[in-house]
Amino acid sequence: MAQIAFEQVSKSWGETEVLRPMDLSIANGECVAILGPSGCGKSTTLFLLAGLYAPTSGKVLFDGHVVNGVDARDRNVGIVFQSYALYPHMTVRANIGFPLRFQKVDKDDLSRRVVEAANLVQIDEFLDRKPAELSGGQQQRVALARALVKQPNILLLDEPLSNLDATLRMSMRAEIRAIQRRLGMTTLIVTHDQIEAMTMADRIICMSRGAVAQIGTPDELYRRPADTFVAGFIGSPPITLLEGDAKGETLHIGTGAMTLTASTAGRITLGLRPEDLRLGAPGQGGLPARVVTVEPLGREVLYGVETAIGRLHVLAMAGDAVPPAGEPAAVQIDAAHSLLFDAGGRRIPNLNIRP
Amino acid sequence: MAEQSSPDWMALARRGRRHRMIFLGTITVFLTLVSLPVVMPYLWLLTMSVTTLGSAAVMQVFWRAAGLVAVLYLALIVLPPLMPERFRTWVPAMAAAAAVILTTLFILPLTTLNNFRFLWNPDVMAAQQGRSSTIGELPSIWSAMGNSFALAGTQTALILITATPAAYALSRLAFRGRETLSRGILLLHAFPVMALTVAIFIQSYWMGLLNSILGVVLVLTTLELPFAILILKTFFDAVPWDIEMSAVTDGASRWQAFRLVVLPQVSGGLIAVGTFTFLRGWEEYVYVTTLLIDNSHMVMSLYLFWVSQDAMGADPNLIAATGVIYLLPVVALYVFAQKYLTQISFGGIKG
Ligand SMILES: Nc1ncnc2c1ncn2[C@@H]1O[C@H](COP(=O)(O)OP(=O)(O)OP(=O)(O)O)[C@@H](O)[C@H]1O
Ligand SMILES: [Mg+2]
Repeated sequence: MAQIAFEQVSKSWGETEVLRPMDLSIANGECVAILGPSGCGKSTTLFLLAGLYAPTSGKVLFDGHVVNGVDARDRNVGIVFQSYALYPHMTVRANIGFPLRFQKVDKDDLSRRVVEAANLVQIDEFLDRKPAELSGGQQQRVALARALVKQPNILLLDEPLSNLDATLRMSMRAEIRAIQRRLGMTTLIVTHDQIEAMTMADRIICMSRGAVAQIGTPDELYRRPADTFVAGFIGSPPITLLEGDAKGETLHIGTGAMTLTASTAGRITLGLRPEDLRLGAPGQGGLPARVVTVEPLGREVLYGVETAIGRLHVLAMAGDAVPPAGEPAAVQIDAAHSLLFDAGGRRIPNLNIRP
Repeated sequence: MAEQSSPDWMALARRGRRHRMIFLGTITVFLTLVSLPVVMPYLWLLTMSVTTLGSAAVMQVFWRAAGLVAVLYLALIVLPPLMPERFRTWVPAMAAAAAVILTTLFILPLTTLNNFRFLWNPDVMAAQQGRSSTIGELPSIWSAMGNSFALAGTQTALILITATPAAYALSRLAFRGRETLSRGILLLHAFPVMALTVAIFIQSYWMGLLNSILGVVLVLTTLELPFAILILKTFFDAVPWDIEMSAVTDGASRWQAFRLVVLPQVSGGLIAVGTFTFLRGWEEYVYVTTLLIDNSHMVMSLYLFWVSQDAMGADPNLIAATGVIYLLPVVALYVFAQKYLTQISFGGIKG
């Protein structure tokens, strides 16, 4: 219900610049995930939007209006804090109902909405407990219910599902996504879980050291990462990055070499995702290799293989016929999905290796 | 072979139980010994207040009371850990009933309430010993108690009203000179206040606050304020920033967030500071003798002092009785506050 924008918004604490001047635009009703390593400024971004921090410079806009001077209480933002920030002296019921105390909601309506919100996150049986008497995951769901109950224009979630088990997490994801769509809340969700970001968000903001590294759809970030940071951060198990020297159409890496689809020169980094490689018997063509490590991941197995261009990681299905550790093998590369980065770490578009 | 390799669990369990008993026993004996010197004077005070000096009843009452305390102590503190679970719940009730019966049968018949006559007869000395006091007639104890309540109560209210916003500001708001201010407050508290008596006397004289309860309240409030602020600040420090910010995003104003979310979480600190301040005012002696220079504004500490300063020979029983009356509000306050006071340590961390 609100379109959000940052215009050159920055945040400093004294001398240290925690957020470098940032431009951002999020459409009305969009759900955007923020991914990034610890301490990169994700929570800071949310607090700037909520009005809890004043930007050091730049403008925060809601629907095109500058809201820098607007109090947090008047922004109609629902927020789940990383620490949950539940009110310890109040029952769950009072916690969830707290935001409604400041709106003109009559008593019956209030208790009905509290129970509805509690049902939504499956904590209705704990309504009369204090937060200290709940498990971490239950507390997290109370925080979620409290953020949802007032049906905010903007929903800010700081790792809202980090403490839940896999099953509950999956159902909560779907639940949040459904209610977000139904109410059309513009939503920002901070998460360390890539699957969560990929499945829930329309777009992902990947942050690094107080700046946006890339904004795009999950597929864009995965297939066309802007630089080696994004390539390394998105994808699990992570991409293998190999540094080499390019001369013309040949890329020398280690003791081996690859052929490029176009000629270039200088330090070039090759990125290969484990899921784009296939391991087979030596006779079937591809890069000669030897299996050194085997990591079963359940349905899949991650192999570490030694090749002329360096150590590669290959993801295979658990049932696949694969040469045993120590035996010669061969790696086939899905060349169309290979990624190449220049000396500065930026991805070079329209360049691949040849199969 | 097989038997040797598995340890004798039964023997080990017996040894574990023995170790726990020795540990608990040592601690209990130690605490008992330490608390003896604390308990004895109060026992004497109580005995003296209900007997007449020189009568045979004094020693009898003292020993019987001591015996009763010892029995209660055994029944309530030493025995319960040794007893099976199902007895523990009704032991305190039994002990209390036994205490009431024993007191009625063996102690009450030996006692007198004569020492407490000052409660209904203002001219204590004359009533007590058939002569009039050399120092002149004392005001009624009720007016002294009223004054003491007014003094301690007003001081507590003033301290809480001023220290709470000050401590909150020091804990939360980043303003210039915050560190300096905190250090200054600490320094203020380090000064020995006795050194200030003369200065305060002169200041009060100039301000026309001499010989008035309000003057004493203002002086005590000023002297106690730094400490109260420091203690409350640690409590505010322990309230997470997130919680207050959460209240603000939930639509509360800063004031509502403070009142509805922050204040309830420092209530333990407010009760602690309030209790200590009240007791400080209730016990205050130095500044009341300095600043209340005639008899018209008697407070409890002065009253006790005057009772014990009769030139014709003080009456120890009367002093003891006065002392008991002086202690009663303290006991009442402690009983009310102890639930909160034992929950907190000075860092504001529940323990
Ligand atoms: N009040 C503050 N004063 C100084 N520095 C701060 C303050 N708050 C945060 N920072 C710094 O700002 C940076 C970004 O913090 P932020 O909380 O936004 O990280 P984050 O991306 O949410 O990390 P995480 O994933 O660990 O929660 C951190 O390096 C942190 O040390
Ligand atoms: Mg964070």
